[in-house]
Amino acid sequence: MTELSIVNVTKRFDETDVLKGVSLDIADGEFVSLVGPSGCGKSTLLRIIAGLEAQTSGDIRIAGQSVVDRRAADRNLSMVFQSYALYPHLSVADNIAVPLKMRRLSRLQRLPLAARLLPSGRAASRKIEYDVHQAAKMLEIEHLLNRKPGQLSGGQRQRVALGRALVREPAAFLLDEPLSNLDAKLRVQTRAEIAQLHRRLRATFVYVTHDQVEAMTMSDRIAVMMGGRILQCATPETIYEDPDHIDVAEFICAHKINILPVEIADDGQLHLLDRRLELSVVGAGRGVGSLGLRPEALRLAGENAPIRGHVVHRENLGAELFVQVEVAALKERVTLRANPEQRRALQLGSPVGLEFDPAKALLFDPHGKRLRQLRPTFAAKPEVA
Amino acid sequence: MPAPDVPSAGKASTPPPTPTNSAPVIRDYRAAWTLTGPALILMVLILLVPVAIAGLLSFTDYSLGSDSFNWIGSANYEKLFTRASYEKMFVATLTYVVTVVPLSVALGLGAAILIHSLGRFGALYKTIYFLPVMATLLAMSIAWEFMLHPTIGMLNRTLELGCGTLLERVWPFLANGCADRFPVWLGDKRYAIWVICFIGVWQGFGFNMVLYLAGLTSVHRELYHAAEMDGARSAWDRFRLVTWPALGPTTVFVVTITCIRAFQVFDTVEAFWPQGGGPNKSTYVMMFAIFEKGVQQNLIGIGSAITMLFLTFVMFLTLIQRWLVERKVHY
Repeated sequence: MTELSIVNVTKRFDETDVLKGVSLDIADGEFVSLVGPSGCGKSTLLRIIAGLEAQTSGDIRIAGQSVVDRRAADRNLSMVFQSYALYPHLSVADNIAVPLKMRRLSRLQRLPLAARLLPSGRAASRKIEYDVHQAAKMLEIEHLLNRKPGQLSGGQRQRVALGRALVREPAAFLLDEPLSNLDAKLRVQTRAEIAQLHRRLRATFVYVTHDQVEAMTMSDRIAVMMGGRILQCATPETIYEDPDHIDVAEFICAHKINILPVEIADDGQLHLLDRRLELSVVGAGRGVGSLGLRPEALRLAGENAPIRGHVVHRENLGAELFVQVEVAALKERVTLRANPEQRRALQLGSPVGLEFDPAKALLFDPHGKRLRQLRPTFAAKPEVA
Repeated sequence: MPAPDVPSAGKASTPPPTPTNSAPVIRDYRAAWTLTGPALILMVLILLVPVAIAGLLSFTDYSLGSDSFNWIGSANYEKLFTRASYEKMFVATLTYVVTVVPLSVALGLGAAILIHSLGRFGALYKTIYFLPVMATLLAMSIAWEFMLHPTIGMLNRTLELGCGTLLERVWPFLANGCADRFPVWLGDKRYAIWVICFIGVWQGFGFNMVLYLAGLTSVHRELYHAAEMDGARSAWDRFRLVTWPALGPTTVFVVTITCIRAFQVFDTVEAFWPQGGGPNKSTYVMMFAIFEKGVQQNLIGIGSAITMLFLTFVMFLTLIQRWLVERKVHY
C-alpha cells in the first residue's frame, strides 16, 4: 500500500511563490500526470515529493506516514530524470546495479574487490546481478549490459534510466519529463511502453510533462497545474470534456479551443454576437462570459446559423480538415473541424455559417470559472424573422 | 512533363566519375603542406634539431668555446649511472617528484571541492591559494630563506614559543629542539629536501586547484540528485560515484602536468644553494645538475647526457598520459 498524499504544500524561492498550496492524493498503483506550461511549478512539486527540494510548508505522506523529515535517499522513491543522469563511467549493468549496491551492501562490501573477497559480499553480489538481469530482461536491454552510456542512443539510455528506477521495487516512481529528449517517433513508442510498464508493475507513477498528449494517453488522472496551483485533477476524459476552468480547457486540447464572448442577461439568457442563443445559465449574474467551443463541437449550417464568416485558411490532415473562419465581429478566427467530404463547400473565401451542439458548449464566467448550470431555452421568440 | 525529369535528377545525384578527381587530390595535398609547413619547419628548427644536437653532444667531451671534441661513446652515460653524486641526483629528484605530485594533486582536489561547495568567500580563497602560483618563485625563495633562518627565522621563533608548555611533552621533536636547538632547516641534509618539497607543494597546488575547479563546474548537477535517489547517503559515496569519475580526465592532465613541473624544479635549489645542490648534495635535482654541469662548469657533454635522460622521463610521462586518456575517458 503506497498511496501518496501531498497536503497543502507551498514553496517560495526568495520573493516568488512557486507553489501556492498544492494538495493531491494519489492512490496505490495510480498513474497521475502533473501537466502544465513551463514555470507552473510541476517539476518543483515532483522534486519536493522526491525530497530533493524542501517545501516551505505543507506535508508529504507516503503510505500514511509523513516523510518531510526523511532525506531523499530514505524515502524509497525512484526517479527518472529528463537528462537520464546515467553515470557515464559505469556500464549499463553497473548503472542499474547502483541503487541495489547502495542499499544492500555495507560500506566495506562496496570497496573495490571486497564483493569478491568477502563471502557475504559474494552472495549479495550474485543476487544483485540476478536482479539486474531481470530488470534488463523486462526492458529488453540485455544485449546492452556491457556498454557504456556514451555508446547508447537516446532511446536506449532512456530504458537504462527506467531500469535503474525499477530494479529495486520502490514505493513509487517519479518521472520528470522522461520523453522530452527523444525524437517524435520514439516518443510515441516509448509512451506506450511506459503505460504498459505501469500496468505490469501496478506501481504508483507520478509523471511530470508539459505535453498534454503524453498526459492524455498515459494517465489514470491528470493534474493540470498553472501558476503554482492545481486547477483540476481528474481523468483525461473529464479534463477534456468537462474542464473546471478556461485555462484547463485552453491547455488540454489537440487543436486550440474557440473562445467566444457571450453576454449573460439578468435572467441568465445567453447572447452570442448580439443573437439570442437557445441557451441560458442558472445562478450567474449579468455580465460577459466566455463560450468555449472545441473545433469538433462546431458544424456547418445554413444562412441562419449563429456564427457567420468566411474561410481564410485550411489545414487538410487527410482524415479530417481544419478550417479557420474569420468572423467580422471577432478578433480571433474560429476553427472548425470538418469531414473531408465537406471540402468542396469550404474553399478559401467561401462564406460559411456555423452552429454548435449546446451539450458540448463550455461556459465560463469572467474570471474563467466554469458555469455548469446550462438550460436550453426552447420557447424562443422568432427574433430573427 | 515529369517523366524526362526523373532520370536526369537521378544522374545528377550520383558521384562524379573517379578519373577526374585526381587533380583536386594533388591540390589538396599542396594546400595541406602549405598550411602545416610553417609550423613543421618551426618545430623541426627549434625543437627536434636542438634535441638531436644535444643527443649527439652527449656522446662527446665537447665544451663551449673549444675548437674540437672527441667522441667518447657512452662514457657520459656510464658516469651518470656509476658516480655517487649522480645517484644523489636521482634520489633527490625522485624524492621530490614522489612527494610533491601526490600531495599537490590531493591538496588541489581538496581545496577545489571545498571552495566549490562554498557560497560566499569562494573567490577570496581562490585568490589566496592561487597567489603563490603567480608569484616569482625566486623572490619567494628569499622570503622563505628568512622565515627558515635558524635563529631569527619566523618558524623557529614560533617553535620556541612552545617550549615549557604542555606541547613539549606530547611532541618529542619540540622537546629535542628546546633542549638542544631547533633545526638549521636549509643546512641540514635530513631536512633540506623536505623543505624544498614543502615549498614545491605550497607553490604548486593552487594551480591544480584551478584546474580541478574548472573540472568540477562540468559535473552534471542532476547526477548528484540521481546518486541521492539511488541511496548515496554520505559525501564519500557521492564523491566515489559522481565526482571522482567525472574528474578522471582532469586528474590525468593534472598528474601529468604536476609530474613534469616536479621534474623541472630548479628555482628554489638555485636560490638556497647557488654553489652546489644543498647540504651533502641532498637537493641536487636534475635541472640543477644540468645547469651546474652544462652552464657553470662548461661540461656540455655530461650536461647533454642528463638532458637526454630528463627528456626520456618527460616523454615517458606524456606517453602514459596519452595511453590513459585514450583508454579511460568515457564520453
